[in-house]
Amino acid sequence: MATMNRRDFLRNAAVAGSATAAACTYDPKVPVENVLPYVNQDDDVLPGTAQYFATTCTACASACGMLARVKEGRAVFVEGNPDHPSGGRLCTRGHMVLTETYNPDRFDGPLNAGKPTTWDEALAGIQQAVTQARADGKAVAWLGQYRTGSLRRLLDELGAGIGLRRVHWEALGAETLLAASRAAFNKDAIPSFDLADAHTIVSFGMDFLSTSLDTMHFIDGWSQARDPQHGGFVARFVAFEPRVGATSAQADNFLPPTPGTEALVAMALARLVHDKVKYSGPASALVGAVDVAAAAQASGIPLEKLEQVAGWITEAPSVVLPGGHANASVDGTALAIATFLINEFAGNVGRSVVFGRELQLGQVNSYTEVKALLDDARAGRVGVLFVDGVNPVYNLPAADKAGEALDAVGTLVHFAREIDDSLRPASIVLPTGSGLEDWGDAEVVAGVHSILQPAMLSGRDTRALGDVLLAFGKALAPAAAAPAVVPAPTDAAAKAPVEGEPVAAPVPTPSSRMGFDHADFAAYVKARWEREIYPLAGGTSFARFWVESLQRGGFFQELPKARAGLVLAAAPTVTGLAAGSDPALVVFPHPHLADGRHANQPWAQELPDTLTSFSWTTWVEISPATARNLGLGETDKVKVRTEHGELEAGYFASPGVPDNVIAVNLGNGHEQMGRYGTGRGANPVRLLPSAADPLSGALAYYSARASVSRAVGESDAFAQIGNLDQDGRPIANIVTVAEAVEHVEGKAGSIVHLHEIPMDERLTSTGITDMYPEPQHPTYRFGMAIDTNVCTGCMACVVACNLENNVPFVGPDQSRRGRMMSWIRMDRFWEGEGEHQDVRHMPSLCQHCAHAPCEGVCPVLATYHNLDGLNAMIYNRCVGTRYCANNCPYTARRFNFHSWQWPESMHLMLNPDVSSREMGVMEKCTFCVQRIRGVKDTWRDVGETAPDSALQKLTACASACPSGAITFGNAKDADSLVAKKWQSPRAYTLLGELNTKPGIRYLARARFSDGAVSDAGGHGGTAPAHHEEG
Amino acid sequence: MKGPTYSSVNRDVLAPLFTPSAAYMGALSLALAALAWGGYCWAIQLIHGLGVAGYRPPVFWGVYITTFVFWVGIGHAGTLISAVLFLTRSRWRTGIYRAAEAMTIFAVMTAALFPAIHVGRAWYAYFLFPYPNQRQLWVNFKSPLMWDVFAVSTYFTVSTVFFFIGLIPDMAAVRDSTRGYTQKLYAAMCLGWRGTDRQWRHYMAAYGFFAALATPLVLSVHSVVSWDFAMAQTPGWHSTIFPPYFVAGAIFSGCAMVITLMLPLTKVFKLEDYIHVWHFEHLAKLCLFTGGILTYAYATEYFIAWYSDNMYEWGTFVDRVVGNYWWVFATMVFCNCIAPLAWYFKKVRTNYLWLFVISVLINVGMWFERYNIIASSLAHSFDPAGWVYYVPTYIEWGIMLGSFGWFFTWFLLFAKIMPSVAIAEVKEMMRPPLKSDEEVAAK
Repeated sequence: MATMNRRDFLRNAAVAGSATAAACTYDPKVPVENVLPYVNQDDDVLPGTAQYFATTCTACASACGMLARVKEGRAVFVEGNPDHPSGGRLCTRGHMVLTETYNPDRFDGPLNAGKPTTWDEALAGIQQAVTQARADGKAVAWLGQYRTGSLRRLLDELGAGIGLRRVHWEALGAETLLAASRAAFNKDAIPSFDLADAHTIVSFGMDFLSTSLDTMHFIDGWSQARDPQHGGFVARFVAFEPRVGATSAQADNFLPPTPGTEALVAMALARLVHDKVKYSGPASALVGAVDVAAAAQASGIPLEKLEQVAGWITEAPSVVLPGGHANASVDGTALAIATFLINEFAGNVGRSVVFGRELQLGQVNSYTEVKALLDDARAGRVGVLFVDGVNPVYNLPAADKAGEALDAVGTLVHFAREIDDSLRPASIVLPTGSGLEDWGDAEVVAGVHSILQPAMLSGRDTRALGDVLLAFGKALAPAAAAPAVVPAPTDAAAKAPVEGEPVAAPVPTPSSRMGFDHADFAAYVKARWEREIYPLAGGTSFARFWVESLQRGGFFQELPKARAGLVLAAAPTVTGLAAGSDPALVVFPHPHLADGRHANQPWAQELPDTLTSFSWTTWVEISPATARNLGLGETDKVKVRTEHGELEAGYFASPGVPDNVIAVNLGNGHEQMGRYGTGRGANPVRLLPSAADPLSGALAYYSARASVSRAVGESDAFAQIGNLDQDGRPIANIVTVAEAVEHVEGKAGSIVHLHEIPMDERLTSTGITDMYPEPQHPTYRFGMAIDTNVCTGCMACVVACNLENNVPFVGPDQSRRGRMMSWIRMDRFWEGEGEHQDVRHMPSLCQHCAHAPCEGVCPVLATYHNLDGLNAMIYNRCVGTRYCANNCPYTARRFNFHSWQWPESMHLMLNPDVSSREMGVMEKCTFCVQRIRGVKDTWRDVGETAPDSALQKLTACASACPSGAITFGNAKDADSLVAKKWQSPRAYTLLGELNTKPGIRYLARARFSDGAVSDAGGHGGTAPAHHEEG
Repeated sequence: MKGPTYSSVNRDVLAPLFTPSAAYMGALSLALAALAWGGYCWAIQLIHGLGVAGYRPPVFWGVYITTFVFWVGIGHAGTLISAVLFLTRSRWRTGIYRAAEAMTIFAVMTAALFPAIHVGRAWYAYFLFPYPNQRQLWVNFKSPLMWDVFAVSTYFTVSTVFFFIGLIPDMAAVRDSTRGYTQKLYAAMCLGWRGTDRQWRHYMAAYGFFAALATPLVLSVHSVVSWDFAMAQTPGWHSTIFPPYFVAGAIFSGCAMVITLMLPLTKVFKLEDYIHVWHFEHLAKLCLFTGGILTYAYATEYFIAWYSDNMYEWGTFVDRVVGNYWWVFATMVFCNCIAPLAWYFKKVRTNYLWLFVISVLINVGMWFERYNIIASSLAHSFDPAGWVYYVPTYIEWGIMLGSFGWFFTWFLLFAKIMPSVAIAEVKEMMRPPLKSDEEVAAK
């Protein structure tokens, strides 16, 4: 040591010291986080304050308005845009735009045959391939989803410039409806259906409350038609459908025709309606030959029933909805035409089936056209194929050999954010931004021009699809000769529509060629708006119009309803299902995964299905009798076999599935997806023949017969909901429609018959029913009203709550153990059977009781009642005895059994206003206390209490609910909407006899009294119901 | 001469303290292995969270609370035998009370582990103790879990003090037969006991005083534990019959456990001279009596559930019989209500094998009784949407096994370092040696 001098000592000491310091501070479990201030702070950004961007949802083709809430440069929440005609509603799948943005499996940059490459190289290669293909006489083709607005325009021009063969197709597409609309009305658009004033809603399988196009508009009408305060009636919903699905679960009369006879039933109904209204017109000839008795005989629906339905259709305004996916059979178009006939006879066209506000989806091609393209590709005739947002390998029947076809393409280009089944090893991947990152616009509903504006930067090396197309245009078709000759907009089109006068839908007709000479796609969109949309508004300054449109989320014209004359020449021929004794196979879309596009979104996977409450997998729905005959136990799997393929999955013995039907959901069964979607469940399309509806060319999902048998192994389908029905308990209660309509106002007191526990008069007369005094609520008593009459069980409230409150997803294994963390559990009680299926949905969440059973039992005071009426939870104080959860009669509490993980990039989605919870801590609904605090503070600053308007939709669930079933507010304020709803004759408190004094009241569902009401809760007087069954 | 003498009592009872037999070592190894396995399982649970257990919401309590109540119940019989039977001057307690008391203490020590094992954040379990702290946290005295903390800790303190007081004269006997370091240890534990009249007088007064103090605790501790359930409003828990029903059940299981433990102990340590079939027969009779109370309580629960006209309550009780947990209910009824009836026959209750078998059955039955109350009630509560079937995982079974390992480790160590039969009291029961005896012997 003698050699160590002062310098060495200091050097060593410094090293040793810093090593010690590092060793002391390093904790592998706590990631190092740096809090960095802005160097140049954006004027608009105030740290801690949210910014809202009005944009458009990209989850499906409906293009609903969406607001993105951005905190410090990150979008943390999405909700409906109230300024948009979609009415501030956003469905379950719309929320997936947020998780898509943060999905950890997103591509970080372009790939060529699996290897990272640069944009310049990738684009140059593709351009060369396009030039080569054209030189070789091979096709340059496009297979993509529906595109409207500027993208459609850009594609049109690029396509014309380079001779692009375009096929726009979606698995849950609109070919059938469009074909029927063309045939019946000679219209190149899909009519819009207004349910609001319909007293009877008849559906032939349309999934209008869940996965169909324009769902938000349907739900808007539905919630009005079901509300006894709106028009003094409650609409009756009659469903002719092979199985009870997410939509037909709401049906008052569920009438499943013998599979394959749906179109016959529709024609028979058309004849009956025709006869009832004594219709006279040229269309009479179309139903002259219909044999109603034979149709009744074939369908198994009694003639009297059909006559009754025809009576309902004719006696008051009604609407008949054409077939959706469950009825996508070889007769799909025929069925849709038949429904248009019924509407025509009943006088609904122009009243509830309207043009004007019609749906235009841009170029719509059919499944047979996709097949033709793939056939050419397989034959080596396609040099370059662009794939945009479709997944043919997953969504086409095996016989179409889509994978082989894609492999045979010279250069395959995918516009994709994440991997999917259709990505081949040789694909060039061009990653696009998410719906929150790119510019764009959409024009789906006539007159509704919605803008997509980026709410945040991508952080990945992505480009907007429009930017890529512009680059191609500049490189490949700069001089694409003469602009397409189009007439300049006439004065009539630019004028504001005159009230009541039908006008042609203002399809923005291209005034002139846009060209490709734009700085980027944002500039392109703006230029197009200036040229085509701005004249419609007729303002004085485009700059101002543009800013206003961005703020509003677009430019919206309210077009008057228009009717269209029936031009149908001949009655459609009905083919029916192939003969056979096996049950018919129904392939239906998953309510959250839709056609499978959201399969890699963990929330879409984990949200329980509306009816079965299964998650993370595929299941088979069979009738209870079939399950009994197969001797199936709860955890058994079944095998479904058709002549085209077979699959194994868990099953659900659904009271809503007849013996002659087997139903399997679409959405899972991906061979190639990201971490959440790969190898989960099975793909039912593999069971289908390559069959199409001859009139529209649509894929016939409902065309095969299948057999079901018991399979070896354990099912991976686990129900989150315990019991099928409510076991006679008054949980989800009902009243009759007659009562509901009669007692719209709250004067009659409650009309809900509940289980009353008789109390000793000596207690009630002296008022000493409580041991503890009533809690004090000096200013606010926050409360909620949930109208189960309009709740469709869609789960939008659940997913909105999860995203707002940083509720973690727990994954398939933990879900199977029933440990989902969602603060709202959608209770589903399946009462009744046969025609009078009675599926009751009820969002079950913390009831914020004034006398909360959870509060007294917590040994460490981690949960308590606050002055605002909230049942508050202090996470840091919680030790995790779980006594509170045991004592909660609503089972509303959730426990963190593990430290749940958000993978890299998904943690950026967390809402900074809400703390995330650690392992061993209890949590539950807080009524979005962070939002309450925000509003209260805002109004306290001006010395006032928050007004009702600021509270009604305050919580995430209330703001998300598409049907407006959830109302929030200050129950102490007698004028508030929630206080009024609390006084509704349909209002009741859940398990009120426990004297918990909940802060939530439910409004009972209204059922028609012809639906045999079987529960103790609904009818049969106030006699306490009982134990006789034991 | 026949029968034990003063010196043979010392020799026989103290023998296990000196040379451990192979059987003893084997038993201790087994207990330690079980304890190690339980420790391993708990370590996994601490690292990964309670999710490694089988909890299926809304069943948030399961094997741990079941086992907690089981051990608290076991802990009942010791104090009953030592204190209550002392006050009522029941002579048959002398042979067995020492081991029964030790069993009580170790059972309570085992039970006390479970609140910590069962909470979500075991590292914050100390939040449950009310003491002034700079975190400004306080506890909720309304919560039955808080009452538990007091009831169990009080019971543990009093039983331990009572146990050590009872040990004083015997510790002196051990002191006198050891030397060196060990002797110093025992000397400390006997607090300088010399056996003078004055010491005996004070000793007996203190013993009687503690017996009187411990007696109400026999009733209180399990009543308080039962309030964990009775104070909640979960159907199947919310019942006023719980305190007496739990106390009877606790004595029932505790006496059965004494039989289960003492029979092998007697055999292995060759204490047949001091612990006779007569002792066991009395325990069996006590079991018969408390078992009868228990059966009556079961019947009353069903009657009230029906008579109250409360559909939730009745639903839970029906579900226990015909639902997923029918096998738990069946096991409980067979082991607690039917099997002990065999003890009505003198032949059965005086047969060592049958005594042992039925006592084990009772212990199994009493564990399942608590499981039946806890799991099946939570799994079939008010809202049918929350009806589930909870199945424990190997972690829970492992920790339960570990709790037996923990208990038996302590018990075996006790048998090795302390006289498991009360020497002084056995001697009290014996005829004093007389000069005439020696004369008789000489002839």
